[in-house]
Amino acid sequence: MAAFDIVVIGAGPGGYPAAIRAAQLGASVALVEKEKLGGTCLNWGCIPTKTLIASSELFARIKSAGAMGLRVDNPSFDYAAMADRKDQVVQKLRNGVKQLLKANGVTVFEGSASFQTRNRIQVDPAGSGTETVTLAAAKTIISTGAASAMPGFLPRHERVVESRGFLNLRALPATTLILGGGIIGCEFACMLAQLGVRVTMVELLEDIIAGVDADVRRELRRHMEKTLGIRILTGVTLEEIAADDHGVRGRAGQESLEADLLLVALGRKPVTQSLKLENAGLIPNEHGFLDVDAYGRTRVVTIYAVGDVTGGPLLAHAATSQGLVAAENACGRYLRKNETVVPNCIFTTPEIGTVGLSEQEAQQQSRKIKTGKYLMGALGKALAIGEPIGFVKWVSDAETDQLLGAHAVGPHATDLIAEAAVAIRAELTAAELAHTIHAHPTLAEAWMEAAHALMGEPIHSAPPRKPS
Amino acid sequence: MVKAVVMPRLGQSEETVKIVHWRKQLGDTVAKGDILFEIETDKAILEVESFYAGTLLKIVAGEGVTVPVQTTVAFVGDPGEPVPEVVLPPVLPKEVEASRPSAAPPPQRDLAGGRRPPSSASPRPVDLPPTAPTVAEPQVFRISPRAAKLAKESAIDPTPIVGTGPGGRIVERDVKQYLEAQGYDRLRITPTAKKLAAREGINLLSLAPKEDGSQTTVADIERVLAERPKPLTRMRQIIAQRLTESYTHAPHFFVTVSADVTELESLRAELKAQGTPYTLTDFILKATALALEQFPTVNSTSDGVSIRWRSKIHLGLAVALEQGLVVPVIRQANELTLAEIHARAQELTAKARAGQLTPAEMTGSTFTISNLGMMDVENFTAIINPGESAILAISSSAKQPVVRNDQVVIRSMMKMTLSSDHRLIDGASAARFLNSIRKSLEEISLWQRSI
Repeated sequence: MAAFDIVVIGAGPGGYPAAIRAAQLGASVALVEKEKLGGTCLNWGCIPTKTLIASSELFARIKSAGAMGLRVDNPSFDYAAMADRKDQVVQKLRNGVKQLLKANGVTVFEGSASFQTRNRIQVDPAGSGTETVTLAAAKTIISTGAASAMPGFLPRHERVVESRGFLNLRALPATTLILGGGIIGCEFACMLAQLGVRVTMVELLEDIIAGVDADVRRELRRHMEKTLGIRILTGVTLEEIAADDHGVRGRAGQESLEADLLLVALGRKPVTQSLKLENAGLIPNEHGFLDVDAYGRTRVVTIYAVGDVTGGPLLAHAATSQGLVAAENACGRYLRKNETVVPNCIFTTPEIGTVGLSEQEAQQQSRKIKTGKYLMGALGKALAIGEPIGFVKWVSDAETDQLLGAHAVGPHATDLIAEAAVAIRAELTAAELAHTIHAHPTLAEAWMEAAHALMGEPIHSAPPRKPS
Repeated sequence: MVKAVVMPRLGQSEETVKIVHWRKQLGDTVAKGDILFEIETDKAILEVESFYAGTLLKIVAGEGVTVPVQTTVAFVGDPGEPVPEVVLPPVLPKEVEASRPSAAPPPQRDLAGGRRPPSSASPRPVDLPPTAPTVAEPQVFRISPRAAKLAKESAIDPTPIVGTGPGGRIVERDVKQYLEAQGYDRLRITPTAKKLAAREGINLLSLAPKEDGSQTTVADIERVLAERPKPLTRMRQIIAQRLTESYTHAPHFFVTVSADVTELESLRAELKAQGTPYTLTDFILKATALALEQFPTVNSTSDGVSIRWRSKIHLGLAVALEQGLVVPVIRQANELTLAEIHARAQELTAKARAGQLTPAEMTGSTFTISNLGMMDVENFTAIINPGESAILAISSSAKQPVVRNDQVVIRSMMKMTLSSDHRLIDGASAARFLNSIRKSLEEISLWQRSI
C-alpha cells in the first residue's frame, strides 16, 4: 500500500493546483482522476466553450466589419473546424497540466477514488488491465466537482443534451431550444445566435442570470433580444417535453415550441456518489454538497474539500484559490481562510464581469451605499474599437467610500473586472481608485471615470444635477 | 400663544426631578402627546409628554439639571413669539458626577486638538491611553492645526508627542518625527481601514500587529469599534448603582427550601379550566403577605444603627424587560384577596411591559419577590432591594423524585431562596419565615377555602 502525506481526489481546477502547491511545500502527493486531467473546466467547461465563443464572436464581428470600413464578402464558417480547434486547445492545455504535475513530483493515479476509511482511499482503475490500488492518506483534499443536472422529466434522446454533450457535436442545429437562462444557458445562446442558429430560451425565474446586478441583467437581455435576435421567455416552465428523430418539442405556457435540439442548462450537481463518503464519516448537506469551514476543512479534521463539491459560486477560479488554501492549511504552513472576493465572469455578448456587492444585495443588507456609473458609449477606446456598449458601475459604502462591488457589462468586461477585484480585496476607497492614473485610451479608464462619478465629480460625463 | 411646560408631579415622594435628556430640540415642532424630555427619579427613567402643540421655543432647564416639581422648564408656542424671561429656582446640588461612568480622564482633549462639543458625552476610547506619566503635562494641550490634521488623518493619538514649537506647541514636524519613531510606515493597513480608524478616532499605533502578518482590514477596525465601551442605558446605570449599594451595605445570607406544589398546580389547572387563570406567582404573593404579617422583622428595614418596622405590607414584584428590570408594587397585599392580587399583578405587569408605570407604582415596596420560574432555573439568589431587608427568589417547579412515607414518589417541587439582611434577620428567623410560606403553598385546603 502506497502512503502519501496528501491525497487529492479530482484533477480539476481545484484539485491539480492543490496537488502542485502541496508538493511545493514538501508533501508527498497523490492525485486521483477518473476521467481527464483538468476536470470540467479544461475539458468540458470554461476552455472549450470560450474557444468556440472566440470563433463565434470573431465571426459576428466580421459580419459587421462594414461598419469599420472593411469589406468582407459572404463570410462563412466550418463548425467542424471550429470544434477541431477547440479540441486542439484543450489537448494542449491538458498536456501542460500533465507536465506541471510531473515536474512537481505529483503521482497521478487514473481511476475512481472511494474511501475505505477516513485515511485509506481505494482507486479502482477506469479501464481494465490495471489493478485496484489502496492509498494511505494522512490528509485528503476532495475536489470532485459537479456535473450538469439532468432531471428525470427530460427525455433521454440524442437531441437532448447538456453542455458537455453539446461539445461533442460536429455540426450545428438550425434551431435550438435552451432550457435554463443561467450563465451557461446565456453563453451558449449568444454563441449559437452569432453562428446563425435560431435560439429560444425558456427560464422559470422572472429574469435571466438571476443574482446579477439588475442594471447589468437589463443590458444583457436587451442585446440578446435586440442585437442577437434570441427569443427569451421568462417566468414560464417548459412542459410536455418530447424528443424524437425529427426534433424536440415542448410547451411554454400557451405556446408550443419546436427545435432541432434541446440544450439543458439547469444548473450543476455535486459529484460525490462514487466516493463512499460514509466510510470517512462524511455526510453531504441537504443539497448534496460537502460543507466546509472558512479554512476548507470538512467535519473530519484530516479531510478538506474545495471547489464545486462544496457549493458556493461554482467557479473554476474560486476552486483554484480554495485548492491552494486547503493545500497550505493541510501542510500546516499556516491557517489561511478562503478568499471572499470572487469575481464572476459571463462570456455572453456583451461580456459581463461582476465582483462584490450588488445594489440589490446592499439593499437587502440595509447597507447605505453610493454608486457611480460610466457608460462605455462615452469612452474613446470603446468608440475606437467599435464597441460602445454597456457600462461599468461601482458600489461603495456611503460613509467610508470603501469600494464594495463592481459591475461591468460591455467589451472585455471579463478582463476589466480583475482591476475591480484587486481594488475591493485591498479595501480601496473610491478616491484611491479615482486618483490612480489609468492609461489612455483604454477600456479600463471607465473604472476611474465611474469612481469620479461616484464622488459626484465626473470629468467625462454630465455632472449630477445640483439641488437648486 | 406661548405655553409654559411645567415639570409634572409624577409621584407623591418626588419633590425634585432631574432632566436627563431632551428628546426635542430647540425649534423642533411638537405635537400634543409627543415626548418632550426624559426625567430620572430614584426608581426609573420616565418620559414626559407635551400637553401642547407648537414649536419648542425655549428650554429653561437643560439636561442634567435638577428642578423642583411644578417648575417651568420650557416654552412651546408659535415660531417667533416672544418668550417670557424665567429664572430657575435655586437648584439642588447636582448629583455626584463620579457616579457617571462617562467621566473622561483629564485633560479633556480632542484628537484633533479642537473643541469638543458639550453634547458629546461619549466615553473616551480606551485605546487612546492618557498621556504617559513621564512626560511633563503641559498646562494646555497645544498643537498646530496642520499637526492636528496630520495626526487625525494618520489615525494616531497626538498626546504623547513632545512639542518643539513655540511654548511646547506640537507642530507638523513633531508629528512626522513621532510617526517615524513609532514605525508608522511599517504598519500595513488598507486604505478604507485607515479612513475608518481616522474617522472613529482609533489610534492605529495601539493596534496589536496581526499574528499572521496580514494587513489590518476594515474587519479589524470594526472589531475594535465593537469592543469599545459604550455607556450603559440610564436604566442599567440606576440598576447598577442601587444593586451595588445594597450588596455592599447589607450582609446577605441565603436560605433555600423546596415547596411541593403538586396539589397547588392541580388546583391551578382546575381553576384555569373554570376560567380563573391564577398564576403561581399570585399564590406566592398571597402566601408571602401572610408570612410577613407573622414576621414583622422581615417587613422592617435597618441602617445598621436602628430598625424601622413598616406597618403596611407592600409587595414588589420584579418584572424583567428587555432593557432591564422594573419592580411594580402591590400595595397592602395582605389586605387583598387572591383574586384582587391576581388582578393587580396582571395590571402592573402589563403596564411595566408597556413602559407605563408611574413612579408611585414603583416606589414604597417593603419586600420583593423575583420569579424566574418561567426561565427554567433550578435555583438562584436575588439581591435585596435597597430599603428592604429580604427578597424571595422563586425558581421553576419541576417534577422530581421525593420521599413521602418512605416511598419514592414523583412530585412537582419548586425551590425558593430567601436573601436576608443579616444585620436584621437571623438564620433561624429566615428559616421560619420561609417555611411559613412553604406551608401555606402546600396547604391546599387554605386555598380552597379562600377562593
